[in-house]
Amino acid sequence: MKDENIHKKIEEVMQSIDNISKASPRPFLFTRLEARMQREKNIWEKLSSFVARPVVAFACICLVIMINAMVILSANTSENSLVQQNSESATVDEYSQVTTTLYDFENVRP
Amino acid sequence: MIETELIARLKQKDRAAFKEIVDTWQDMVYNTALGILQNVEDAEDVTQEVFIQVFESVTSFKEESKFSTWIYRITISKAMDHIRKKKRKKRFAFIQSLYGKNDQPVIDPPDFFHPGISIENKENAAVLFKAMNQLPPNQKAAFTLNKVEGLSYIEIGEIMKLSVSAVDALLHRAKGNLKKILKVYYTTVNGK
Repeated sequence: MKDENIHKKIEEVMQSIDNISKASPRPFLFTRLEARMQREKNIWEKLSSFVARPVVAFACICLVIMINAMVILSANTSENSLVQQNSESATVDEYSQVTTTLYDFENVRP
Repeated sequence: MIETELIARLKQKDRAAFKEIVDTWQDMVYNTALGILQNVEDAEDVTQEVFIQVFESVTSFKEESKFSTWIYRITISKAMDHIRKKKRKKRFAFIQSLYGKNDQPVIDPPDFFHPGISIENKENAAVLFKAMNQLPPNQKAAFTLNKVEGLSYIEIGEIMKLSVSAVDALLHRAKGNLKKILKVYYTTVNGK
């Protein structure tokens, strides 16, 4: 195809949808739409009713309480060990206590 | 029924009002979605999603713009989301096929024939729709609204929240890009 033929073809293609008529969806769209909304509503209803069951709700509350307790306990433990570590190092600094090792004994200069 | 009354009733979740809204605007929503998605099933799926969104978030409609403008905005956003989701799925399927987890080959969609096109223009329109798929999303949306929905620049500007001159520039770029894509297409077709 020559260049001018290509240009002509492009113009034809560009104008091919100029008089397009509107497409319509299949009939009974509203019925299908209602059915879909009902289906989606049912999924959420099922989920909310499952969560609202006493056993599930109680288990969830227990789990939350357990996680909270674990976090609080682990925070306390790490705080205590930090305080202990700080007081030990303060004592060592104050009394100039140095831990002697076997290496220190063997390398004592006369 | 007056539009404002219809909206007020929909805000109270009135079924009859919802049905009237769907009946009034279903062609507009479906036609726009079909122009962007170029697939009958996807267009119907998005049309349903649009009306579900309209039903659920009508309370957030402030009536600052026309109701149809608001519905158009939801349609375009849902259609673009659908394209993104489909691309993601396609990429995932391709990666899976590389690792041998998915034996089904990734198939490109066949040519799209819009039901509103006359028989003599069918082939040319299919080529144009294929070229439209290569446009950036905002150019594709503006071009679809203008050519498929037949909206004016002012209406497109209201929907896309752009000035008339910005819409003009956007459509000018879209047409220019389409011509470039078509030129490459016909040059390669001839070269074969």
